[in-house]
Amino acid sequence: MASRWRGRVRPAEPAEGHRQLAVARNEAVGAYTLLVLRNDGGPVGSPGQFFMLRAVPEPAAAYLPRALSAAWADEREIAFLLDVRGPGTGSLATAGEVELLGPLGTGFDLRPGASLLVGGGIGAAILPWLVRMLDPAPRVVLGFRSEQHAVCAALVDPEATVVLDPVVVTEPLARLMPFAGTVYACGPDPMLHAVAALCAEHEVPCQLAMEAAMACGFGACYGCAVRIDGEWKRLCVEGPVLAAERVMAGA
Amino acid sequence: MPDLRTAFCGIELDVPLVNGSGTLDALVSGTLGLGAFVTKTVTLHPREGNPPQRIAETPAGMVNSIGLANPGLDRFCDAHLPRLTELGVPLVVSVGGWSREEYAVAVARVGAHPGVAAIELNVSCPNVDTGCISIGTDGAETRALLERCGRETDLPLLAKLSPSVADVSAIALAAAEGGAAGLVLVNTVRGMAIDRTTLRPLLGGGGGGLSGPAIKPVALHAVYHASRATGLPVIGMGGVASGQDCLEFLAAGASVVGLGTALFRDPSLPARAAAELDSLLADRGLSAAGDCVGLAHQPLSKPSPQLEGMER
Repeated sequence: MASRWRGRVRPAEPAEGHRQLAVARNEAVGAYTLLVLRNDGGPVGSPGQFFMLRAVPEPAAAYLPRALSAAWADEREIAFLLDVRGPGTGSLATAGEVELLGPLGTGFDLRPGASLLVGGGIGAAILPWLVRMLDPAPRVVLGFRSEQHAVCAALVDPEATVVLDPVVVTEPLARLMPFAGTVYACGPDPMLHAVAALCAEHEVPCQLAMEAAMACGFGACYGCAVRIDGEWKRLCVEGPVLAAERVMAGA
Repeated sequence: MPDLRTAFCGIELDVPLVNGSGTLDALVSGTLGLGAFVTKTVTLHPREGNPPQRIAETPAGMVNSIGLANPGLDRFCDAHLPRLTELGVPLVVSVGGWSREEYAVAVARVGAHPGVAAIELNVSCPNVDTGCISIGTDGAETRALLERCGRETDLPLLAKLSPSVADVSAIALAAAEGGAAGLVLVNTVRGMAIDRTTLRPLLGGGGGGLSGPAIKPVALHAVYHASRATGLPVIGMGGVASGQDCLEFLAAGASVVGLGTALFRDPSLPARAAAELDSLLADRGLSAAGDCVGLAHQPLSKPSPQLEGMER
């Protein structure tokens, strides 16, 4: 099994169950909400891995936990940037305590050399941690649908290039091509496919952090099917971070 | 300490808890303390499954439309089965198909593999248009399928039944007449979710199967009546999320209880449910899980020793 994780942080064993963590603070960051949990010293994994989160007490209107990758995490705190859409994310945004399972899945494979980060919308949520981990400091390109949504760019990198709808991130990205390093991207599927296509055209290695609705997060429900290697595969088992070629295969 | 060990169709389980087919991948996350492992349904040919979106949250549950995604019989038997028989718990292989012959081929092949304890015939998947559930909604077809598959193996055959039928007892009886050694019920209830924005079906497969606490009363009713009609041992499931739920399914007539959707929310549930069940049985002065099986079928005519000390 060990070889499968190629030196990355191995996911937690689901049977170990949940940890219950207190909320240290929650605050609005433009259109999004920052949720910071006080970590009990438990494992946090690496950027791009994810956790299953549920508010305590359990919200009546949200039966399933929510799959979220951390904005940053260490032994003292685990932070998430939320896009509040409904009762599940809404209950997390106002929770006093949160049940957390993870870290789960496979995160970014941090490569030596230069790096370029691309984020779209709430996909920017998982980039602050990656920025902190990368040396030398990466270039960052972010796209948002409004100025309110773009407020969170400051959490990622105050120096980031930010574009707003209708400009798309591939515009500034194209001007940086061919990039001599690795591209790491997180955002909506059309953005990821466009980024992957641009990187493929210029033969730039690219990793995509993808998103899918998940019931469990550890391979049990088969709900998070994503086109990988030309087939429907479980994103929680194969990813959520994937080499772009695996997503482009048969896309 | 009550005895949670259970014999089911000749299979010895340390705890009377299993997973529902398709709700756990033991090769990814282990068996989580369950008494036996039930595989995801395997079909003769590989199936990619239905396009996303495959799951939708609903009040007290979820609707899924996975569509029997599986690697197919060849790859399952060559690559998965050898590892599944090393899990350290009894293995039940679930098979599905589109004709009696497809099931028979799968049963013969799986049944010949050492280390398989029983075979579940899934005749109740709501996420395929033909086959499978169209057999399990027809008593004569169900009986004929059990008879046909019984010729291919000496292993116990379990019929996995749907609650989305007019009379689950009639189907259960047909399975019993065909030679089923046990019953597994219920599969998910046919359901649907509508996208609140587009007002079109939310799931890629159109409809789906409802699971979770929302279906527990439906499942208890089906277990109660199917076990009464047939006298067969039953694996009962549908919305089980606690030791108390397990106790209720045992009382309704199940010998073993299945955990499904609740595992998605809490993979530590098997250990917790077993501990809770143990304590609940002890509270009632019951020395074994088996002593609770079918209690709901017995009239409460005189003060019961099992209720001594219990709150009325």
